Amino acid sequence: MSSSGVALVIGSGGIKCAAAIGLQRCLQHEAIPVELLVGCSGGAIYAAAMALGHDAETVARLTTTLWTREITASPDRLAMARMAFPRLLGFTERFGLKRDHLVNARLAEAFGDATFADCRTPLFITATDFRTGEQVIINHGRIADAIRASIAIPFAFRPWEIDGRLCVDGFLSDPLPVGVAVREGAHVIVAMGFESPYQERISTGGRFAFQLSSIMTNNLLRASFAFHGLAHHGEVLAVIPKFSQRIRLFDTARIPLLIDEGEAAMRAQLPYLRRLLATASSTPPAGVTSVSSAP
Amino acid sequence: MMEVSIQQHNHVAVVVIAGSIDALTADALVTALLAELQQGRTRLVADFSAVEYTSSAGLRVLLTTLKDARQRGGDLRLAHIRPNVRQVLELSGFTSILKCFPDRDSAIASYPA
Repeated sequence: MSSSGVALVIGSGGIKCAAAIGLQRCLQHEAIPVELLVGCSGGAIYAAAMALGHDAETVARLTTTLWTREITASPDRLAMARMAFPRLLGFTERFGLKRDHLVNARLAEAFGDATFADCRTPLFITATDFRTGEQVIINHGRIADAIRASIAIPFAFRPWEIDGRLCVDGFLSDPLPVGVAVREGAHVIVAMGFESPYQERISTGGRFAFQLSSIMTNNLLRASFAFHGLAHHGEVLAVIPKFSQRIRLFDTARIPLLIDEGEAAMRAQLPYLRRLLATASSTPPAGVTSVSSAP
Repeated sequence: MMEVSIQQHNHVAVVVIAGSIDALTADALVTALLAELQQGRTRLVADFSAVEYTSSAGLRVLLTTLKDARQRGGDLRLAHIRPNVRQVLELSGFTSILKCFPDRDSAIASYPA
């Protein structure tokens, strides 16, 4: 990677990942090139769209048609029956409580048969090996398949097979996979991540499960981010938007708000990012004005 | 940009940092902090009230100083952290390994006389 560009990592976060559109808009406006893209779960959709060269407006439009409540509205009654009577009906690891035909169709509509080879910017999408728990880094084949694997939300969508590995959602191994950019040799990494919201009220078994998932995911996010931030030889800029309103999983009506707040979060980091990139492409660092000591 | 000033409060060295702790300022900051440690002033309080920003490179400076100070029998404690900086510290797990205080006086007082 050159010293004038950045690697962009977009973590898991469902619809909140639309904030990456604002981040993209900000970097485009500042003519800061993105030279590597990494996406996880919801973030994979945006990373892929950007890697294929779509502008911010196109990506926003794509989101409103792809990510709607209907994609999880159709229960898989056979899967439910198998869960209730596993021995009788034969429970398998390819389990999901929602039918995935619509999400698959929408991914196909949005990304067609585009492959990683079609990307203008190198793209990496992460998922999780269901059998071993290892992170799976996907950088070849159909992009729609890679995204489908990365968004295989546990219990909702059945796992998706990639190269013989049964994959579930990427957030289960690392919600903000900065390590992929580190491994690929990036110097300056812009990492947009999202903490999972905690439930306001635990009134159902589903909410109880979501709460547990949020606790584990947020702790994993922090542990992984801490490790990679300390291990990286260069710089990792964390862009963590603070949304002024609670964002629910399918709040597509709030995409404009998400974009604006994502742009604002990136803009807050711009003065330092500009100085960092300018210094990296010219002279050794010298940012201290004074060091003084008093008795 | 960043400015560092160091003040002695009896048995504690207070490092007042203003500006940004990042890749562009990390070398100078770690030099200043390690100089204190090498002179035997191992009880450090970093006053963060004027720290506007910290990045991963800045966090590495804190970790280096923290480990060195503790190996020498001292510590590095933080005071008066702004919310945006605290967010980065929390996200990176630093608030679980560093002692943080709401103000400089309480951080100084946390060291036994």
